[in-house]
Amino acid sequence: MNTKNRNFLIGGLAIALFIAILAPFLASSNPDGLDSTVESLEVPESEAAFQSPLPDYAIPGMEDNPLGGVVSLVLGTILVLVVALGLAKLLSKKGNTKNE
Amino acid sequence: MHVPDGLLGLTWPIYIIIAAVAVIYSLKWASENLDERNVPLLAVLAAGIFAIQAMNVPIPWGTSGHMVGAALIAIIFVSPWAAVLVLSIVLILQGFIYGDGGITALGVNIVNMGIIGGFVGFYGYKTLKGIGRIPAIFIAAWAATFLASIACAVELSIAGTFPLAAGVASMGLYHAVIGVIEAVITVVVILGIDRVRPDLLPDWISSRKTEAV
Repeated sequence: MNTKNRNFLIGGLAIALFIAILAPFLASSNPDGLDSTVESLEVPESEAAFQSPLPDYAIPGMEDNPLGGVVSLVLGTILVLVVALGLAKLLSKKGNTKNE
Repeated sequence: MHVPDGLLGLTWPIYIIIAAVAVIYSLKWASENLDERNVPLLAVLAAGIFAIQAMNVPIPWGTSGHMVGAALIAIIFVSPWAAVLVLSIVLILQGFIYGDGGITALGVNIVNMGIIGGFVGFYGYKTLKGIGRIPAIFIAAWAATFLASIACAVELSIAGTFPLAAGVASMGLYHAVIGVIEAVITVVVILGIDRVRPDLLPDWISSRKTEAV
């Protein structure tokens, strides 16, 4: 990766992390469009089929502390970057060898 | 519009199959189209979409909504399959780690936000680009979110969860507003990239070339 691309990657990640850090403080806690529809149509509540480790972006035990949300979103943002970067690199390499 | 577990009745495996086929196509797209130049862009946009999906913006009626991002990816990478790939990565991690979107509903969420969002964003922009870059991006991104929500309402009515008319009306109303958030952010991000790294953008949205066609 050349310097220009590395700088772009770092700059872009910085913006994503900035959003991730602000989201727990700024994001609306109102239900989203689907949840509001579910409520207004009086659909019964459903159970999750799988127990996720960080439900609703909260660290278990500190659900009311927005810092838990910050940590959880920052980790998630970095994880998405790493997974996308790894997968894309793996696939783009495969493509190159296939062509030759 | 992340569908949780339990709203799809017995219909959820249908969407898992459709999503799985689409993900295979998206991996094929990636192996043919990703190179050293655009891999960092894809990864950064995926991370940004994950973060911004946590930023719910209040809308009227005590409701909120957030950007989806599929139209942005489809337009920047000139392929709906790019959107399927990125949204699948984001939705799989959201579902398994954060319980945002059910695991049995992972298929329907990829269908709505990845496939429908990506295809509407891509073909919307392709159809409208003659009216000018910014209005075309705006409308395509708005339509991607709006139509994904309509699809969601129809799927939940097929499952017997929503009455069709009331479900479509409610989802459509909220997402007509949430679509504006999608449209504004999509335009801002594309203009931002155009300012710092115009070389990363394809000809059809880059300001380097005057709009042909």
